[in-house]
Amino acid sequence: MNKADSILSQTKSFFAEIGDMTFFAGRFFKEASSSPFEFKELLRQCYNMGNRSLLLVSVTGFILGLVFTLQSRPTLMQFGAQSWMASMVSLSIVREIGPVIIALICAGRIGSGIGAELGSMRVTEQIDAMEVSGTNPFKYLVVTRIMATTLMLPLLIIMGDAIALFGSALIENLKGDVSYLLYFNQVFEALKFSDIVPATIKSVFFGFAIGLVGCYKGYYCSKGTVGVGEASNSAVVYISMLLFVIDFIAVFVTDIFI
Amino acid sequence: MGKSTSQKIKVGVFVVIGTILLVATLYFIGNKQHLFTRNIEIYATFANVNGLTLGNNVRYSGINVGTVSKIDMVDEGTITIQMVVEEKTSRFIKKDAIASIGSDGLVGSMVVNIIPGKSQDAKPVIAGDTIQSYSRIGADDMLSTLNTTNENAALLTSDLLKITNKILEGKGTLGALVSDTLLAKDIRQVVVELKKTTLGTSAAITNINAIISKINYDESAAAVLLSDTVSANQIKNVFANLEKSSKDINEVTKNIDEYIQEIKSGKGTLNYVLQDKDLVKNIDSSMINIKEATQKLNENMEALKHNFLFRGYFNKLERQERKEAKEK
Repeated sequence: MNKADSILSQTKSFFAEIGDMTFFAGRFFKEASSSPFEFKELLRQCYNMGNRSLLLVSVTGFILGLVFTLQSRPTLMQFGAQSWMASMVSLSIVREIGPVIIALICAGRIGSGIGAELGSMRVTEQIDAMEVSGTNPFKYLVVTRIMATTLMLPLLIIMGDAIALFGSALIENLKGDVSYLLYFNQVFEALKFSDIVPATIKSVFFGFAIGLVGCYKGYYCSKGTVGVGEASNSAVVYISMLLFVIDFIAVFVTDIFI
Repeated sequence: MGKSTSQKIKVGVFVVIGTILLVATLYFIGNKQHLFTRNIEIYATFANVNGLTLGNNVRYSGINVGTVSKIDMVDEGTITIQMVVEEKTSRFIKKDAIASIGSDGLVGSMVVNIIPGKSQDAKPVIAGDTIQSYSRIGADDMLSTLNTTNENAALLTSDLLKITNKILEGKGTLGALVSDTLLAKDIRQVVVELKKTTLGTSAAITNINAIISKINYDESAAAVLLSDTVSANQIKNVFANLEKSSKDINEVTKNIDEYIQEIKSGKGTLNYVLQDKDLVKNIDSSMINIKEATQKLNENMEALKHNFLFRGYFNKLERQERKEAKEK
C-alpha cells in the first residue's frame, strides 16, 4: 500500500512537473512577446552560450567526424563503396548525428550551466531581490537565456556539422587519397535542402528545450546548496530525454513531408 | 506562481497524452505514406516475390507511384500482391503494363517495377485490375549460370593453353608457321610472286577497262551485242530459225537427190515421158489432129450463125455490143 502510494505520488509529481514546465513555457512566450526587451542581456547570453561553447563544439564535431569515418571505412571497403563515404557521412551527420550529439554536449554545458546559475541565484535570493527591486527576473534571466539558446544552438550545430565533415575529409584524404575538393564536391552533391532545413528546424527546438528546462530547473530550485546541484543535474537529465523525444517526433514529421 | 498542483497535474497529463497522440498520429501517417491521396488498388501475380515486403515501393517508369499493401499466397507457386497506386498517376498505367520485382540498388530493398506496355491504344487500369507480371531471374539463378560459364571458361582456357604450348613447341601447322624459318622464307617468296601476279592482273584489267571504255555504248554494234537484251533474243531466234531452215534445206536436198537418182535409174512417170520416143510421136500427131478439128469447128460455128434458127440470137448479141460501145 505504501509502495503504491509512493508510485502514485511520483506519477503525480511527474505530471505536475510537466504541467508546471508547460505553464513556464507559456509564461516565457507571454513575457517574450511583451516589452521591454532585454537586448543587451540577450547579446551577453548569446556570447556566453554561443561563443564560449564554440571550442567544445568544434573539438567534439571534429572528433565525431573523424571517428565516424574511421569506423565506417572498413565496412564500406568490404562493399568496395569507399566512394560513398562522403555522401554517407554527410547525410548522417547533417541529418541526425550532428544535431543530436552537439545538442547533448550543449545540454551538458549550457543546460547544466543555466540550471546551476539560476539555482544559485535562487538559493542566494538574488531573484527575490530582483523582484523586490522592481526588475522582472523572469524577463531578465529566463527569457534572455531561452532566446539565446534557441538562437545559438542551430548555429552551433551547423558549425559542428561543418567541422565534423572537415574531420571526415581529413581521414579520407589521409587514408583514401581523396582530395578535399572531391570530398566536398561529393558532400554537396549528396546534401539537399531537404536534409539541411529539417535538421536546422529541429535544432531550434533543441535549443528551446535546453534553455527552457535549464531555466525551469534553476528558477524553481529548492533551497540549499544541494538544490543547486540537483537543479543542474536534473536539468541535464531532463534535457537529454526531451532532446530524444523531440528528435523522435522530428524524424516522423520529416518522414511525412520529405 | 499561483497555479494549484491539480492544475499542474492536469496540464502535465494533457501534454504527455498530447505528445503520445502526436507521435502515434505521425507514425500512422508515416506508415501509410499515401493516406491523404486518392488511391486505387491493382494486383499482380508472381511465382516468387524475392523477399518483397509490405510497404515496398511501386515504381512506374522509375517514379514512385505507390506501395505494396498486401501479399497473399493463393496456392503453391502463386502469390498475389496488392499495390496501392495514386489515382492521379494510375491513368498512365495501361492494362497491358507488366509488373516485375527488382532490387533498389545492389543492396537495397525490393521494389515492384511496372513497365509500360507496348500497345498505344490500351485502356488505363482501374481499381481491382490484375496486370501481367514478369519474373526476373533471381540473383541465385544468375550466380549458378555464371558458375557454369566459369567452368566452361576454365576448360576453354586449359585447352587454349595446350594449343599455345604446342604452337610454341613448333608442333602442327600453326606451330610450323610460327617457328619454321624456311617456311617463312617460302611464304615470303610466295607473297613476292603473288605480288607480281597481282601487278600483271592489274595491268590486264586496266587494258580490259580501256577496251571496254572504247566501246561506244549508244550506237555501235558491239554495244548492242553486249548490252541490248531484246536484240540478243531476236538474234537467238534468228539463229534458231536458221538452224531449222538449214535442217529443212537438208531434207529437201536429200529428196531431190533421191528423185534424180530415180530419174537416172529410169524409174517413174517423168522418166517414161522423157525417155519414150513413140509417145512423143503420138503426142505430136494428136496435136495435129486437134488443130484440124478446131479449124473444122470454127467453120461449123460460122455456118451456124447463118442458120435461121440461131440468127436472131447472134443479131441480139451484136446490137448489145454496139450499145455498150456507144455508152463508153
